[in-house]
Amino acid sequence: MNLFSREIKAYRKSLFFWSIGMIALVGSGMAKFATYSGGGQSMNELIAQFPKSIQTIFGLTGFDLNTASGYFGVLFAYIALMATVHAVLLGADIISKEERDRTSEFLFVKPISRLKVISSKLLAGLSNLIVLNLVTLFSSIYFINYFGHGVSMNSDVYVLMAGLFFLQLLFFFVGTVMVALIKRPKTSASLATSVLLVTFILTYLININEHLDGLKYLTPFKYFDAKNIMTDGTLNPVYVVLSLGLIVAMVFVTYRAYNRRDLSI
Amino acid sequence: MNAIETTKLTKYYGKSLGIQDVDLAIKEGEIFGFIGPNGAGKSTTIRTLLGLIHPTGGSATIFGKDITKYGPAIKEEIGYLPSEVFYYDDMRVIDLLRYSGSFYKKNPGVIAKRIKELAAYLDLDLKKKIDDLSYGNKKKVGIIQGLLHEPKLIILDEPTGGLDPLMQQRFFDLLRQENKKGVTILFSSHILSEVQKLCDRVAIIKEGKIIRIETISSLVENAHKRFKLETVEKIDAKPFADLKGVSDLVITGNLVSFLYRGRINDVTKIIAGLDLANMLVEEPDLEEIFLHYYQKDE
Repeated sequence: MNLFSREIKAYRKSLFFWSIGMIALVGSGMAKFATYSGGGQSMNELIAQFPKSIQTIFGLTGFDLNTASGYFGVLFAYIALMATVHAVLLGADIISKEERDRTSEFLFVKPISRLKVISSKLLAGLSNLIVLNLVTLFSSIYFINYFGHGVSMNSDVYVLMAGLFFLQLLFFFVGTVMVALIKRPKTSASLATSVLLVTFILTYLININEHLDGLKYLTPFKYFDAKNIMTDGTLNPVYVVLSLGLIVAMVFVTYRAYNRRDLSI
Repeated sequence: MNAIETTKLTKYYGKSLGIQDVDLAIKEGEIFGFIGPNGAGKSTTIRTLLGLIHPTGGSATIFGKDITKYGPAIKEEIGYLPSEVFYYDDMRVIDLLRYSGSFYKKNPGVIAKRIKELAAYLDLDLKKKIDDLSYGNKKKVGIIQGLLHEPKLIILDEPTGGLDPLMQQRFFDLLRQENKKGVTILFSSHILSEVQKLCDRVAIIKEGKIIRIETISSLVENAHKRFKLETVEKIDAKPFADLKGVSDLVITGNLVSFLYRGRINDVTKIIAGLDLANMLVEEPDLEEIFLHYYQKDE
């Protein structure tokens, strides 16, 4: 419990600023919708004049931008990017910082097993993910309602946030796995963020080039694509199962590899 | 029962050697010195004992319990002070020490009392932030966090760096007090005089291998002196070369330099016959002992 509360305290400030950032992203995003829709000009017609590749790059295809829900669908890609950046950094940082700050000679000579250390840290990390997810949920509901003139799409938002949570979990554990496998804290953190970046770019490549559709299993951003979620009104069970499998595997590797490897001092 | 016992303890970092076939048996209640030049494997041995790194061969027990199987249980009884101390910069000293104490089963009230006593003894302000402490004061935090749970085994890895002579004295007194209560101490250092002051026995490690385990008294008896003589006339090498106990003899013109181990009288008799311009007798440093004494004796 002492380690858990220490970690919660250590990330309090950072979580606060990420939350502010998330509220600002959702708020300013939806505020733009208010200006566009207030202008009387049809966004869809304007967007349609863009080349297809530009449309896909900005994630504009398949959404009705005249509606608050369609607009939020576009915005979700950016929300997901922000939340996953937070998750991957948190995952890498929370495990590796004892080695980075050279405090491992303090913590790991205490009568506590490495498995317990990991458990406490993972729990503290998960709490952070949940808080950021809830902040996103509430600010989304609030701003959609505020700028969308009373439009209600709460059920869509709930499902999207569930998808977002899966994304957060996946990338959080990408971070922890990298640290568990790689001894040098700086290398592991940059590798983890590289994974995020590559999968994010891959998502756009798949969107632009239909021949690459087979690669969609390689990027979690495709698992929880706003367009599909909002059309189906639910998460795709195949992707949910796939995600759960990946999460379990990464948790397992995190514990096992970290327990076995030498700490860098 | 031995406090620490290692059998052929070996650690390779990939292909490079950390330590090889280290056999130690440290008795309960003993102050055991662990000496060797930097990079000889002292820290590697200690970190392996503490489970920070895993051995690649051999085994070790602390109070009869295997280090790899019973890590957390063993550490309940160990206090550790690393050579360089790093703590969470954003914490105050008292918070860090309380946090440190919270990991042990011992009663928090007892620990709090002990923190206060030790801080007063070492003259440390508990309200300061870790970040604002000087290196020496951080070291004091390290000492307290190593002792606050009244461990039965204290492991110190080059602990004196950053402490001024007065504090070093207090720290050594503190260790002697603990030792009187029956606490075992493993004291690693590359400074021979430090180890001589405190320890009963000493293990000498070089390039990852234990080359000798001796009592401090025999170490002192076997102590070498380095002689450096400058004479007015050219020196005949023969009397020195013939004298038993002389090693590393170098003669260049009017300068003689050698290491001597044995009765001082025997060497002064020879020196008395010379027309000296200058003379210097000094304790060889550890490196020299390793280079000229232990290597040749092996």
